Amino acid sequence: MLTYAPALAVEGLTKRYGDRAAVDHLTVALPRGVVTGFIGPNGAGKTTTMAMLLGLVRPTSGTGTVLGEPLERPERYLGRVGALVEGPALWPALTAVQNLNVLARLSGHDPGRIPAALDLVGLADRADDRFGEYSLGMKQRLGIAAALLGDPDLLVLDEPTNGLDPVGISDMRDLIGRIAADDRTVLVSSHLLAELEQVCDWLLIIEQGRLAYGGPVEGFATEVGSEIVLGPVDPRELLALTDEVVAVDGHDPRRLAASLNHAAASAGIVLAELHVRRPTLESTYLRLLEGDPR
Amino acid sequence: MIRTYRAELTKLLRRRVVLVTLAAVLLFAVGGATILLQAADPAGPVRDASGGTPTLQSLAAAGGGTDVFRVAVAFTGTFLFVVFVGVTAAEFSRGTIRTMLLRQPLRARLLAGKLAALLTYAAATLAVTEVLTWVAARLQASSAGVDASAWVSLHALGAAISDYGVVLLWISGYAVLGMALGVLVRSVPVALAIGIAWAGPFEHLVQNAWSSAGRWFPGLLLEAIAGGGTTAVTASRALATVATYVLIAAAVALVVFDRRDVAA
Repeated sequence: MLTYAPALAVEGLTKRYGDRAAVDHLTVALPRGVVTGFIGPNGAGKTTTMAMLLGLVRPTSGTGTVLGEPLERPERYLGRVGALVEGPALWPALTAVQNLNVLARLSGHDPGRIPAALDLVGLADRADDRFGEYSLGMKQRLGIAAALLGDPDLLVLDEPTNGLDPVGISDMRDLIGRIAADDRTVLVSSHLLAELEQVCDWLLIIEQGRLAYGGPVEGFATEVGSEIVLGPVDPRELLALTDEVVAVDGHDPRRLAASLNHAAASAGIVLAELHVRRPTLESTYLRLLEGDPR
Repeated sequence: MIRTYRAELTKLLRRRVVLVTLAAVLLFAVGGATILLQAADPAGPVRDASGGTPTLQSLAAAGGGTDVFRVAVAFTGTFLFVVFVGVTAAEFSRGTIRTMLLRQPLRARLLAGKLAALLTYAAATLAVTEVLTWVAARLQASSAGVDASAWVSLHALGAAISDYGVVLLWISGYAVLGMALGVLVRSVPVALAIGIAWAGPFEHLVQNAWSSAGRWFPGLLLEAIAGGGTTAVTASRALATVATYVLIAAAVALVVFDRRDVAA
């Protein structure tokens, strides 16, 4: 369910390390109930931003709220936030159940939720194996199970697909989809844009610590530009068609396609192919980084 | 703090940890009692204030049985200090401190709960160690020429409680100083290197060159507490000085931990 009360909102959020700004006056608000893909080049400030939202890193300046509570009082909201930041860090000598038991006691959550959390991430049959014996993919999944223990309203996942094989990545995408289906707000960072595109409703793009885009995925594609694929039966008629098109609305690809279709019909040109091709998130993102606003 | 305390105890009270601890305690109790009884000076009158090993005469006193425990444990100071340093620094090296802070963002409570749990476990381990050391010493007393008839009395019980209290204070000092070092350094190898060097040879080397070192250096002062005082410093003065160091170390560790960013 999408509501207008933001799950998190920050204004002028800044983190400086000496002269370098890791996060530079970031102002953004994410609605509740959406899956937001958080993308940016390495070193853009994604992890630092997440760490500030989670109370791990103190902002140099800026304000914000998480689940309606002030950013500087993480103890008021972290009980409703599940997070996996900078990889799953758990105790290698403890089994999955023991690790989750420690975390449940630490956060005051019901240890009775442990079996369900392990089941959700597909680790129920390896619950009594030690964390140190897990593969990287299993560790990531246990990290997500730990994040889900408190039945959180907001889930923050930093590179959850890091180091996973294609099957693991696919599993992780499905898992995020299942988590999001429960009306949770999810903020997930990843470099796998094709995977993000399949699960995200919103995008948050930062570059050099600054906001490059914040809004719905569709808006991002529209903002940067779609393509019209046009194919007459006889390719030689393509030139004639361009003579017919006098003016089209370039900001609305559907209207542009309609204009082209109308022009083709007027010129007696039969089209074998006409459709709007939305650019992939990856191609759009790369164009944005290259400064091509097409 | 209670949540952190319970979480830490969950980590400590695992069957494997408890069994390994019990095995180590049993080995230590038997070994420590045997060595101290065999090494007891048969000609010496009573134990002097230099913190040396017990004599046959001092061991025959009401507190002789648990004096074995106190003296034997005092030899493990460096090891225990390194354990506390390592346990704390490992949370930073492994990144588990980040995982913990996501569940308990009030950092002072996190450290206090962790310290309380470690001390609870240490206190229980010490109690078992004291009983086992007493039993091991009692079984070997006659063969070592020690008259242990006074070991079972109200006076002996009082001495046992007193010895236990002294050792608990001693280990608490090591725990706070060790945790502070772990928090400040954050790296297991570096923290262990500093811990071993400092609590091991460094202070003793300085003591050889400067006789007053025993009045000021924390490791030597903790040894003095466990030994009931030395020629350089009384037990009460050592306790007061160590308490000051512990308070300063705890305050510095808390302030640094509270203000420092926790990132990879």
